[in-house]
Amino acid sequence: MLNPLPVERWDDRAAAHLLNRAAFGATPEEIAVTKAKGLAGAVLDLVEPRVSALPFDPPDWAHPRDLRSLRQEARMAKQNGDTTKIREVRKTEADEILDLRRWWMARMATTAAPLLEKMTLFWHGHFATSVEKVKDGYWMWLQNETIRRHALANFAALTKEMSRDPAMMIYLDLPQSRREHPNENWARELMELFTVGLGNYTEQDVRESARAFTGYRLDLVTQRFWFAPNQYDAGPKTFLGRTGNFNGDDIIHFLTKQPACAQFLAKKLCRFFIEEEPSPSLINAVAERLRAHDLEIKPVLREIFSSAEFYSDRVMRAQIKSPTQFIIQSCKLLSCDLPGPRVAQNAMRQMGQILFAPPNVKGWDGGKSWISTSTLLFRNNFANYLINGDAILPPAMKRQGADVGFRGAARAAFVDEIRRNPIDVNRLVSADVRNNAQRLIANLSKRVLQSDPPSDDMAAFTNFLAARKDDSSDATVRGLLHLMMSTPLYQLT
Amino acid sequence: MSNTLHTRRKFLRTSMLGAAASWTLPVFLEKTFFALDALAADAMTQATSGRDDTILVVLQLAGGNDGLNSVVPFVDDAYHRVRPKLALPPDKILKLDSEIGLNPRLTGLKSLYDSGQLAIVQGVGYPNPNRSHFRSAEIWQTASDADRVKNEGWLGRYFDNCCRGAEPTVGVAISEQSPQAFSAKIPTGVTFSHPEQFRWKASMGADGKPLSEEEAFYRQLIGGAEEKPSLAADGNSISSLPGKFHNDATTEDFLRRTALDAQLSSDKILAIARKYKSNVPYPQTPLGASLNLIGRMIAGGLATRVYYASQGGFDTHAGQIGSHDRLMAVVNQAIAAFVADLKQQGNFERVLLMTFSEFGRRVAENANNGTDHGTAAPMFLLGGRVKPGLFGKQPSLTDLDNGDLKFNIDFRSVYASVLDNWLGAPSQLVLGRKFSTLPIV
Repeated sequence: MLNPLPVERWDDRAAAHLLNRAAFGATPEEIAVTKAKGLAGAVLDLVEPRVSALPFDPPDWAHPRDLRSLRQEARMAKQNGDTTKIREVRKTEADEILDLRRWWMARMATTAAPLLEKMTLFWHGHFATSVEKVKDGYWMWLQNETIRRHALANFAALTKEMSRDPAMMIYLDLPQSRREHPNENWARELMELFTVGLGNYTEQDVRESARAFTGYRLDLVTQRFWFAPNQYDAGPKTFLGRTGNFNGDDIIHFLTKQPACAQFLAKKLCRFFIEEEPSPSLINAVAERLRAHDLEIKPVLREIFSSAEFYSDRVMRAQIKSPTQFIIQSCKLLSCDLPGPRVAQNAMRQMGQILFAPPNVKGWDGGKSWISTSTLLFRNNFANYLINGDAILPPAMKRQGADVGFRGAARAAFVDEIRRNPIDVNRLVSADVRNNAQRLIANLSKRVLQSDPPSDDMAAFTNFLAARKDDSSDATVRGLLHLMMSTPLYQLT
Repeated sequence: MSNTLHTRRKFLRTSMLGAAASWTLPVFLEKTFFALDALAADAMTQATSGRDDTILVVLQLAGGNDGLNSVVPFVDDAYHRVRPKLALPPDKILKLDSEIGLNPRLTGLKSLYDSGQLAIVQGVGYPNPNRSHFRSAEIWQTASDADRVKNEGWLGRYFDNCCRGAEPTVGVAISEQSPQAFSAKIPTGVTFSHPEQFRWKASMGADGKPLSEEEAFYRQLIGGAEEKPSLAADGNSISSLPGKFHNDATTEDFLRRTALDAQLSSDKILAIARKYKSNVPYPQTPLGASLNLIGRMIAGGLATRVYYASQGGFDTHAGQIGSHDRLMAVVNQAIAAFVADLKQQGNFERVLLMTFSEFGRRVAENANNGTDHGTAAPMFLLGGRVKPGLFGKQPSLTDLDNGDLKFNIDFRSVYASVLDNWLGAPSQLVLGRKFSTLPIV
């Protein structure tokens, strides 16, 4: 079982940790507010956000369209060599997914219900689906909303929704599954990656359950799921040792009742929220709570965020920030705007996490796999761009957006978007703090690292300010910020 | 520099195993342990001196290269029958034998073939082929079966299994984004498209110039300024090593080591890029620039076993005649310049360049003068020590699988040949099982 955190251990550091992991980080002011709520109050505000915090308008293009006609038109255009029309179709696809990424990141950055977004991100990695195959922005948005609606609710219900989710269906070839030729892709991943994990089912179970998911279809005119009884194999199936005329929902019901399912999900939750290599006893404790709550997510998260395990010294400040966390949290800490959508998309690509385009159905590995020499240098240099604006970029990039994968009008838009002013240092530190090296370091360190720096880092910061000869100009403060954001510690959350 | 890198590598090797040793072995046994470790480590770790090891250059032709119009079965009636618009005229083909020839634009490859420095493996594919770019590219990059998803790339598994403690530049991708083939448990390999981008940049001063002080203290921060020759070889325990980092026991140590790796690699790459310029003219294309950069890195002796470059645009669904020929010319010119450069450097014997694409294209042309996604296709392997000739069989153009060629050589056999016989790495360990090898290197 999970041990509750003793009340006296609820302090600034714990509050900062909660907001780092269950949200996307926070400023010193926000941390102080959260700390004042007390542990129970702070956790409650995260798991039960006020209803008024929820509404967030969908992107204006996010509605169903008659895809059949649109795709027919596109085919005609190809046949007729109508390059203008072909380009227009491609551009719409690219523009929508770009806008969807902007929309979600803005939501993560500004929402009053950050845990909901954090969990939506968790499920996006769990039920990984890529626009590279789905090729429709509306369906990707719809999946994102469906996930959000169930993100803190029941896992079995969410899994059933995913089996009818158009983007997921396309991603795992479910609409092609016919009674005579059941496609096993969805059935296999449902077991291997979504519910119980390898070793808890047989190849026979894969084949039999694939039959249960036949008849799942998509209507291209309404862009909705429908069920085709004449394509459904209603015959008896033997699954996990039982025999009956099971349908898809029955299969999901059986799987989510397996003890292995809670175990599997517990490990992923531990890795996402607590630590990269959770101990078996921690996984068991979380799995036990998941079973006790019948796979309801909200009460389990509430217990995790109230536990001593979550706030242990080994866990705090020991998780590598995902690229999403890196960008959102950096902008929060610097009190600056998110970069433009093309700039952000490009940065995410170079850091290895493109939202709505996970590398494969396994999602992102996370942890140490985020960090290579290239991505680490990129993170440091991107922090520099956020702090100092486009002044640090090579002139060629500013002029023509060289080597960023955009062409034509998109390239021009990128070049325009990449313009950025340096941050306003006065919004972060007052004049009297600036003029005192020790106070300046303490103040910015608390903001950027949510703690005092380790002694070695402290020495580097102090020596840097000394080498600047007591110059407390904006440039020096920005340099110090960049130095802090280049520390290994800054990569951790 | 090289001395620092050398001691660093040795240090990492010992510290990696030493981390486990420090709590599994009593302190007095550590010396023995290090002695044993040094032997074991040398067997596991691939040499990466950058001066005399073999080098693999992987060239991805992204989008699905039309194999039939690259290596052409020009006498086959079926070829002309199903491709009335796209079939290349037999008199223009660069003939390799009485039945098979190269696309007319592949003149450089033809001369390599004639001089015995080009191997062509025909009909390469895999069972149950997937026709999605995304998925089929992933299958090639991870060397997985068609119905299995793997996260680590095949080169990543080579780095993980065979290059522990090697310098991070053991793999270099000239790209904005690391190729999936490089994905590894412990990310290794560096990715950049311009050397000037692969460096830590300081903040800006009021004068619009970088703050020089910042870089000095950044180096202090990550430990690069302090690194002294390691004492591990003298038998001192890990905890008495100089510098800040002891092992990768904590994530912060791992980050500090990666930052130091990045700094050392960046310094070295920039130094080479500034010092070595090619005397051979390269074409003014992105691929030309990539191979030029690789040529300079090889000339400068960067400690690298695998380079990776890519050329896109092969998804020729419509209007293929002009576009595919142009792509063939782009590839041909860049490779020809690269080969000339390597020959001039005296490094051609050490280099093997291998091309791959996620699939070939449909045998029959479509209504838009193009071709749709297909299956099997040829791979090119070239270099000073390649065993030349045509390998495998040209698949039949009439005995088809849903309109597509049937493969006769699994691409993992080609990978296995390269791993076993060129990189000297155990292919079974890297690919997960044994694939038969071909006598191509």
